[in-house]
Amino acid sequence: MNRKKSNSLLGMTFFGPALVLLTIFLFVPMVLTLLFSFTDYFALNPDLTRFVGLGNYFKIFEDELFVQSFFNTVGFVLIILPCQGLGALGLALLINKVTHCKKYFKVAFFVPVVMSLAVVSTLWMQIYSPEGILNTLLKNVGITPQPFIHSAKQALPSIAVMSVWQGVGYQMIIFLGGLQAINPGLYEAAEMDHASAWQRFKDITLPELKPLCVFVFITVTIGAFRMIVQPMVMTGGGPSHSTYTMVYNIYETGTVNWEIGLASTMAIVFAAFVMILTIIQTILTRDKEEKHADKK
Amino acid sequence: MRTKSEKRFDWILTILLLVLSVFFLFPVVWMLANSFKTDAAITADMNTIAAFIPPVPGGGFFENYISILTNTNFLRYMLNTLFYAAILILCGIVVNGLAGYALAKIRFPFRERWVLLILLLQIVPMETIITIHFLMIAKVGLLNTVIGYILPMIVNPFNIFLFRQVFISLPDDVYEAAQLDFCSPVKYFFTMVLPMSKTVVATVSVFTFLNVWNDYLWPSLVFTSSDLLTAQIGLNSITSNDNTTMGQTLAVITMVTIPVIIIYSLFSKQIVEGVTSTGSKEG
Repeated sequence: MNRKKSNSLLGMTFFGPALVLLTIFLFVPMVLTLLFSFTDYFALNPDLTRFVGLGNYFKIFEDELFVQSFFNTVGFVLIILPCQGLGALGLALLINKVTHCKKYFKVAFFVPVVMSLAVVSTLWMQIYSPEGILNTLLKNVGITPQPFIHSAKQALPSIAVMSVWQGVGYQMIIFLGGLQAINPGLYEAAEMDHASAWQRFKDITLPELKPLCVFVFITVTIGAFRMIVQPMVMTGGGPSHSTYTMVYNIYETGTVNWEIGLASTMAIVFAAFVMILTIIQTILTRDKEEKHADKK
Repeated sequence: MRTKSEKRFDWILTILLLVLSVFFLFPVVWMLANSFKTDAAITADMNTIAAFIPPVPGGGFFENYISILTNTNFLRYMLNTLFYAAILILCGIVVNGLAGYALAKIRFPFRERWVLLILLLQIVPMETIITIHFLMIAKVGLLNTVIGYILPMIVNPFNIFLFRQVFISLPDDVYEAAQLDFCSPVKYFFTMVLPMSKTVVATVSVFTFLNVWNDYLWPSLVFTSSDLLTAQIGLNSITSNDNTTMGQTLAVITMVTIPVIIIYSLFSKQIVEGVTSTGSKEG
C-alpha cells in the first residue's frame, strides 16, 4: 500500500514538469483555439468579444482570400507530392543499383536537406532573379528569360520546384533504408526462376516498399500543407496572393491583424486536414503490420 | 561473374547519376563560388563557366565574409542561437527524459492513459496553436525575451515517447538495487539511467539542435529586438537590407549552414538511423 503511494508520488515528480508544460503550452492553447474559433475575439479590443457560433466557419469559406490560400496550398501539395515522392523513389532505386561512387551520390542529393528553409529561400531568390544564373543558363539553351517568383502564374510552381529540390534527399534516404531492408533471399529465388528485371521490380521491390511509400507520400503531403517560410522569405505571399498559403493566412490574421477569432477558425480547419491525413496514414500503415503478423 | 551487358549498364547508370547530380548541385556550387566575389565579378562571370568557379585565392578573398562578421550583428546571432540550443537541449533532456522514464518504469495512476495522450498529441500540428502561444507570451510580457522564446519549446511529446521506448527496455533489477542502496530516484536517473542511454540522449540533442537552428516561424514572432535574433531571422534581416551585396548575401547563407554541416558530419550515423527508423517503424 505504502509502496503504491510512494510510486504515484514518484511518478508525478518525474512526470510533473512535463505535465505542467504540456498543459500550459499544448492543452490550454488547443482548447483556447477551439473556443476562440466560435467568437469574434479581436485582441486589440477584447472587451467587445461575442460568441458567434459557427459564424466564422461560414465567413472564412466566403472569404476570397482564405479560399485562395486554401487552393494555393492544395496546388502546392499537388506539385510537390508526385515530384518529391516519385523523385525520391527513383533516386533511391538508381543509387541502390549503382556500384560506382555510391557514397558520393548519397551525399550529393542530401546536401540541400542540410540547408534551412530560410537559407534555401534566400539562395533561390538570387537564382530566380530576372538577371540571375538560372535565366542566364536558360538563355544559353535558347529559352527566353522567365519571371519566376515575380509573376503570379509562375511563383507557386517556382517555389514548389525549389522545395522539392530541398526536400527530396530526405525521402531518398528513407527509401534507401527500405530497399536495403528487403530480404535478399527474395531476389535470389526470383533469379532461380529466371524472372526478368522488370518482374523482380514489380513483384518484389514494389510490394515490399508499398508501406514505406504510403508513409513517405503522406509525410510529404503534411509537410507541404504546412508551408509558410518559403513565401514569407521570397514573395511575402505575392504576387497578388498567388503564394499565400493557409498557414501564412493564419499567421497574418492572428499575429499581424490580431483577429484571433478568425485565425483560430482557420487553424481548426487546417488542423482538421492535417489530422485526417495523419489518421489515414496510421490506419494504412497499421494494416500492414497486422498483415505481416498474419504471415508469420 | 557479371556479364558484359551488366557492366555496361552499370556505367550508363553511373554517368546518368553524375549528370543528374551536377544539375542538382549547381545552386550550391554557384553559392559557394560566388560568395568570394564582388558583385561586379559575379555579374561579369554570370555568362561563362567562371560562374561556378571560385576566384583565385588572394587579397580580399574572404572580403564578403569579413565585412559581414565585422559590420553586422551576424556573429552575435549565431552565438545567440547556439546559446538557445544549449539551454533547450539541457531542459529538454531533463523534462522529457524524466517524463519518459516515469511513463516507462514507474507504476503511477493513469500511466497508460498518459502514454496514449502523448501519442495523440504528436498529431497536432504546431502551426495550429502558434497564434495562441504568441498571444500568451505577449500577455505575460515575455515578448522579446529569451524565456518567452524558450518556454513553449521545452516539452516535446515526440521526445517523451522516444525516451519512453528506450527506457522501457532497461533492466528493472538495477533500479531495485539502487532503491535498496537508498539511492534517490532522481539521482539514480541522472547518474545511471541517462549514462546508460547515451544513444537516445545524443539523438534527442542532435534533433533539438537542428530544430532550434533551422526554426523560423516562432523566433520571427517572439524576437523583434535585434540583439536577441536567431541566425535564421538575423540572416533575413541582413540580406533584406539594401546595402548588403549579392556576394555578402551568399557569404551569410554559407556561414549559417556551416554549423549544421558540422553536426551532420559528426552525427551522420545517428541522423541517418533516426531518419530511416522513423520510416521503418511507422511504415
